[in-house]
Amino acid sequence: MSEVIFSSWAGKVVDNRGQKGAKAEKLEFPLQYNGHQVRAFMSWNGFVVADGGVNIVGMAHSYLKEVEKLSCGECTVGYIGIKVMAGILDRIISEQGAEDDLDLLRWLGSGIKENAKCDFCASAVTPVLDTVNYYKEEYLKFIIGKIKPPKATYIVRVTAPCMEACPAHQDVPGYVELIRNRRYTEALELIRRTNCFPGVTGRACVAFCEANCVRNDIDSPIAIRALKRVPADLTSLKIKKRKAGKQKVAVIGAGMAGLAASYNLALMGYKVTVYDEQPSVGGMALVGIPPYRLSKDILEKEIDIIRGLGVEVKLNTRVGKDITLEQLSGEGFKTIFIATGAHLGREFDIDNRKEASKGLVDGVEFLRDFNTGKKIEPKDRVIIVGGGNVAIDCARTCLRLGFKDVTIVYRRSRAEMPGKKEEVEEAEKEGVKIHFLAVPVKVLTKGGGVVGAECIRMELGEPDASGRRRPIPVKGSEFVLKTDMIISAIGEAPDLSFLAGGEKIKITEQGTIAVDLSSYQTSVQGVFSGGDCVTGPATLIEAIAAGNRAAASIDQYLRLGKVTLSGEDKAGSMLHDIALSRRRDGGIIARRLRQSPEQLAIEDRKLNFNEVEKCFTPEAAANEAERCLRCYRVMLLAVGSEK
Amino acid sequence: MVKLTIDNKVVEAEEGMTILDAANKAGIRIPTLCYHESLSSAGSCRVCSVEIITDGTSGLITACNYPAEEGLKVRTNSEKAIEARRLALELLMAQRPHSDLIQKLAKKLGVEEPRFTLAQRECILCRLCVRACHEIVGADAITFIVQGLDRDIDEATVVHSLEKCIGCDSCAYICPTKAITVADAGDTRVINTPGGKMEFKLKKCKTCGKYWAPEKQLDYIVEKWQLEPGIFDTCPDCRA
Repeated sequence: MSEVIFSSWAGKVVDNRGQKGAKAEKLEFPLQYNGHQVRAFMSWNGFVVADGGVNIVGMAHSYLKEVEKLSCGECTVGYIGIKVMAGILDRIISEQGAEDDLDLLRWLGSGIKENAKCDFCASAVTPVLDTVNYYKEEYLKFIIGKIKPPKATYIVRVTAPCMEACPAHQDVPGYVELIRNRRYTEALELIRRTNCFPGVTGRACVAFCEANCVRNDIDSPIAIRALKRVPADLTSLKIKKRKAGKQKVAVIGAGMAGLAASYNLALMGYKVTVYDEQPSVGGMALVGIPPYRLSKDILEKEIDIIRGLGVEVKLNTRVGKDITLEQLSGEGFKTIFIATGAHLGREFDIDNRKEASKGLVDGVEFLRDFNTGKKIEPKDRVIIVGGGNVAIDCARTCLRLGFKDVTIVYRRSRAEMPGKKEEVEEAEKEGVKIHFLAVPVKVLTKGGGVVGAECIRMELGEPDASGRRRPIPVKGSEFVLKTDMIISAIGEAPDLSFLAGGEKIKITEQGTIAVDLSSYQTSVQGVFSGGDCVTGPATLIEAIAAGNRAAASIDQYLRLGKVTLSGEDKAGSMLHDIALSRRRDGGIIARRLRQSPEQLAIEDRKLNFNEVEKCFTPEAAANEAERCLRCYRVMLLAVGSEK
Repeated sequence: MVKLTIDNKVVEAEEGMTILDAANKAGIRIPTLCYHESLSSAGSCRVCSVEIITDGTSGLITACNYPAEEGLKVRTNSEKAIEARRLALELLMAQRPHSDLIQKLAKKLGVEEPRFTLAQRECILCRLCVRACHEIVGADAITFIVQGLDRDIDEATVVHSLEKCIGCDSCAYICPTKAITVADAGDTRVINTPGGKMEFKLKKCKTCGKYWAPEKQLDYIVEKWQLEPGIFDTCPDCRA
């Protein structure tokens, strides 16, 4: 509950003016920013006033000036219209307004709202229209009373539902627009500001942005992930090689989080050394994602850019065994970033694990073995236990290796499967069978080798902590599946055994490294951590985002001796929750089908690991990018006092 | 085939047609500015705005790029449609008051004088030139530079690349507001764009001595169609 004097948010008008004191009103968000009371807030869905002292006309003027900077130029009504409206507001606050101006503002505003080409201008004018409609007397004070606006400073933030959903807050509308106009170099530059793995994520990202695309409510989301691949594949940037700086930072783990942090730190001028126990660079992206989803040379190309910035990588070096954390400190590393991922497969519960010495394999290990070039002999039958992306990757890899009969056994139903829907569909098209609502309880062995799995059927009960319905075994429903191998892919956990040497780095009950989530600082001074070892198994983009932010924290720490959080990080939920909203406030949008890049035919995927998805052609990419509604949202907050 | 109603007239349209296509087929005129039948639609000028009723709600859309859908009700001359067009034209007039075409379109709707003034510019960002250069010529010499987050530009603009431009003058031909113009003088063609002047050397006909086309354009054609070098040494008149 926040006390408001006036609100037009989401079309619902609350007007407590003229009453004694402000009344509490239930808003969708708290009026708090960075620990301060927000006095007034203005964005695409209206405006909210908590403090009667805020000059609303002055605020609308500043807001529209910000909107003007973002109005793209694609359509007359939006582009010229916003300019004209801003001009009229200029006139009003500089004592040259006329009463007719208010009618003009209304006419322009409603015209833009109904008929601008995309969502940005159409939505952006809403709060300005609301001020004209509900704060007319304030405008008249300027027009008739010739008052001058107070000097005020506002906090401005620009975001979009897709940007806000992305952990790295990439400027999605920005690069989609550049791709539409075939300006690939600029698109790639823009992507690289927040994501140093455009080619990798253009192939294998889970695309939180797409899940929160405004077009979900119209037809289907923009193919953002596939679009990102276009500039990554069709152009390359000349990123200047440089010599590393003097101040040293150690990074443990050459996965997405560690590499993203290294990239940013190197660009800031630090001398970064990365340690990894594996013989090659890339972490889960390398050892966890099969090449039919992400070709290794793409990953290599993007890692080479990071190396080119002077980042040194020491492989086959396990910290805690080959070198200790103390030794690193002794070598002059004032800060250490731990990004060791989650590479330990969790074991599923079976009565007789020990009996099966052969044929019982961990999924992460299986993928690691395959991806690092170990020879895997295909067998006739394999069962993969689990329903996540690792399970799907194992299944599709087995099929390509020549396993004849590949079956996934998953304890819940299709709806609860955590694996990406498209991946599941592709796996099934390729011939993977899925046994839903079942789980192995006993391994059947012969001479130490697996010959089958005794499974039990499950039914779904009440939702558990994850929100998914809990599977419950059905008594007496046991059945046997014949198999030569069982791969367990029911989840991964960080391997933190390297911290066992008495370092005081705090570990959570979930077995992850405890950090302050806005600064990535661990319980030990100068030691930071991020990525899967902090969150548990997550996604590439979450790791990249963690690397980016940790780098910013480390930089602050090394320059200032402490991490002073940015207001944005501390602000917490207010802006984030509002910005995630997909609610539109514009006119009719024509339905237009989503386009997908071409895929390798099913018969051409057999026994090879060629990438299944191809790159969009420039023409198809431009067409798909044309669907973007450019849902940027300007947010203006009045926090400080006005003079 | 889909059936829709335009101005109370039932119109049959082929799958994939826009409302503008369907209206044209039925002989119903909708004004346009940034539309050209040989190019893709941009929906930029908003001059072809019409009112549609779909799922019981009424709204405005541009006829040039909205698909002709089954059961759609379209009103090309409703109060709402006319007002939307008036807004677009008043805005265009404020931006580019000296364009004959804009004046003509505005007058038809009763817009005489814009009620606001703006810094005038010749280009209205309709991107007919960008589309023509990409879709017809294939030279891709013109880029649309939009405004955006952290973008260091003052204003959206359309920029020619001298390197890619072949001097064919298609952009000047298609520009509705004469923001791009072309003039040949002696052995030189000059193309004036909002971003600056470009010069192209013209080819001299071996037979009559007339300067007849930009050398760069002729080279481009020879390469694109794999013609024999020297085929354009003489002008079409002398070849005939």
